[in-house]
Amino acid sequence: SLMRQPEEVFDIICKLGEGSYGSVYKALHKESGQVLAIKQVPIDTDLQEIIKEISIMQQCDSHHVVKYYGSYFKDSDLWIVMEYCGAGSVSDIMRLRKKTLTEEEIATVVHDTLRGLEYLHLRRKIHRDIKAGNILLNTLGHAKLADFGVAGQLSDTMAKRNTVIGTPFWMAPEVIQEIGYDCVADIWSLGITALEMAEGKPPYGDIHPMRAIFMIPTKPPPSFREPDQWQPEFIDFVSRCLVKNPEERATATELLQHPFIRAAQPSSILRTMLEEAMEIRESQNSNRQNQIKTITESDDDDVDSSTMVRYSREDTGTLKPLGDNGTLRAPIASSDTLKPSGTLRESQGIHGTNNTGTLSMDLGTMVINSDNEEEEEDDEDSTMKRHDTAPGERVDRPLFLDYFDKKEQEKRARSKGVKESTEPVTSLSQPYVGTGRPIVSQQHPASQSTQMTLDEKQILQQQQQLQQAQSNIQQQLHLQQQLQQQNKQKQPQTQEQQQQQHQQQPHQQQQTGTLVTSDSTMIYSPTSLVQLQPKPLSAEERRKFENDLHRQLIQMNNPANHHPHLAHHHPPASRGVAAENQPKFQRSFIDGDFEFLKHLTYEELHQRMATLDQEMEREIDELRQRYQAKRQPILDAMDQKRKRQQNF
Amino acid sequence: PQRALPIPHHTDFRQPLSLMPASPYLHEEIPYWLRVYSQASPDHDHKLRWELFRLPELDCYQAMLNRLFKHELHGIVMSYEMYRIALTREIERRMQQMNITAHATGGIG
Ligand SMILES: Nc1ncnc2c1ncn2[C@@H]1O[C@H](COP(=O)(O)OP(=O)(O)OP(=O)(O)O)[C@@H](O)[C@H]1O
Ligand SMILES: [Mg+2]
Repeated sequence: SLMRQPEEVFDIICKLGEGSYGSVYKALHKESGQVLAIKQVPIDTDLQEIIKEISIMQQCDSHHVVKYYGSYFKDSDLWIVMEYCGAGSVSDIMRLRKKTLTEEEIATVVHDTLRGLEYLHLRRKIHRDIKAGNILLNTLGHAKLADFGVAGQLSDTMAKRNTVIGTPFWMAPEVIQEIGYDCVADIWSLGITALEMAEGKPPYGDIHPMRAIFMIPTKPPPSFREPDQWQPEFIDFVSRCLVKNPEERATATELLQHPFIRAAQPSSILRTMLEEAMEIRESQNSNRQNQIKTITESDDDDVDSSTMVRYSREDTGTLKPLGDNGTLRAPIASSDTLKPSGTLRESQGIHGTNNTGTLSMDLGTMVINSDNEEEEEDDEDSTMKRHDTAPGERVDRPLFLDYFDKKEQEKRARSKGVKESTEPVTSLSQPYVGTGRPIVSQQHPASQSTQMTLDEKQILQQQQQLQQAQSNIQQQLHLQQQLQQQNKQKQPQTQEQQQQQHQQQPHQQQQTGTLVTSDSTMIYSPTSLVQLQPKPLSAEERRKFENDLHRQLIQMNNPANHHPHLAHHHPPASRGVAAENQPKFQRSFIDGDFEFLKHLTYEELHQRMATLDQEMEREIDELRQRYQAKRQPILDAMDQKRKRQQNF
Repeated sequence: PQRALPIPHHTDFRQPLSLMPASPYLHEEIPYWLRVYSQASPDHDHKLRWELFRLPELDCYQAMLNRLFKHELHGIVMSYEMYRIALTREIERRMQQMNITAHATGGIG
């Protein structure tokens, strides 16, 4: 099927949505008249791997796994042709209705999902990206797993080229820790997805993903925010999924026998939900179409699918660059979590407003196309109310606009100052803001987040201090040791490196007290925070603060056995980790002790709190860029070598 | 009225890795020079001749750089966590203070 040009074979009808790796279009198979979905993914390397993966996926034939029909390569895009699911994803439906699912609805969806997972797992395949955004519903209400294989394959490929860490909310602890995993990793994700369907977002969904990454493996398994709202069977079901030790976690086959699943109703009970979602979609589309028609009336002649494709490639490029310009993308992100990635780009100040132009153009194009799209006759659709646009179709406002709205709101809130920001910051990372924010989670926002912080405080302090203790105490020793060793045995390194090393080490050793090293790559951004500190505080206060931390530090000195998994992140200091995270720790700990906070006004404190995540993000982005630049030459050399190997 | 696309057959399922092994470089000691490289100014990076290494070595180094990245990332996130805690405490302290002064000036006695 790779022989013919895809546009000869398909008519693109309209855009259905966007994910981390590309856009999904609704398309017509010209020959058969069948409606299909086509995912277009810009690809730079490893095409072979991906095609191999797709050919494996093509062999999957289950009612509960989205069927893959084949793939095409067009320009630098891979077109993945798959079964069309007219009702869109479960997260689309939640977003449209601004409602979470009922327990009954969840049972039905999860039942189908488990059938899909059982099918895959029996064949020893891991899905790796289970979440509401990847559970698609056809118009009959049958749930099907989407993005199997390709998602994983792509995220691997991308991760190899970029220092990217996926959106962690659905990831099993063992996946985050990279200690190896198997099929039951999907079961953890299913448990998270069940919570997502019940509460509108996954646990930790409103904290920054980079914080979540370090919380998921360290904290006890999440559960319901309001347990008394749910049946014990449902709670028990979720708790069987969310077992931290993968060996003790239930399998798909086992879970199909769980009372919660055995009591699941047939798909027909989803009907009301689907109809409602489709109606909303319909009305959103017609609003949208009216608006855009008036705008683009004059130049609607040259609109065709190829324009659309071209635009789409552009906007994919701007929103979630796949190349090497390095945004912290969220490879396993739902479309909602794309917002954070937009964030990072914005903080880089690259495209910002440009995006808007490109995308609205894009939208215009698509909407006009979708005017004549609706003559499709999906077997399944015929059982449903006739509709102009299926709910999976995203012709409404692009998500990133929500993101900019959100930014605006935040800005306003911040400038208004105190009240709004007393809660711990949730900026940038809240997936559902402005869209399908569920009633449930709105009820107790304050208590929720306060709890979260207190709880999280303890564990993170511990982590922090563990690291702290290791790195502070052993750092000097270490560097010296290594320096000596270094001088004795000739390590494989260039002269420059040795020079750099000599230049660097004195700085690292002296750092106590000052933040910045001479090397520009070692300057970390919120220096201003520290440098701002005007005057030393009273000796008394300072001592109190230090004692406080010191006490915790001592508590923390024998913690490793409580958190065996930490060992992976923090190998014993004797192995020489000291240098890895030195600058920042010195900034925050040795250096500042945060006394400068005492000299800020109450408003300023809140201000700081409100921008914390953004600053962290900026710093992470710098870090990511630095490492990407460091890895690139190695990756290039590897590519070269591989090519040469192939040639011989 | 339509003809369905041929549905894929149930043929033999090739078996890719069903179990994702831990990264083989997870516990490997990272050479010191690689740490230095990771921290050093990029000005001289281009002089390094990576092609002199063998492919598996290169793979190992890039994986190790990833590890270093994650470690530093952890450092950043944790330091912000500390900062967040310090801020929270300070805010709490101020609120308490404000309460106290409110009571005091309110002349409860
Ligand atoms: N086979 C399909 N049939 C109908 N709609 C689809 C299909 N596949 C995807 N979609 C729609 O397109 C959207 C984008 O899908 P995509 O898989 O690219 O992103 P995602 O699932 O949101 O995130 P990720 O890239 O992490 O998988 C989905 O949310 C869904 O609404
Ligand atoms: Mg998807």
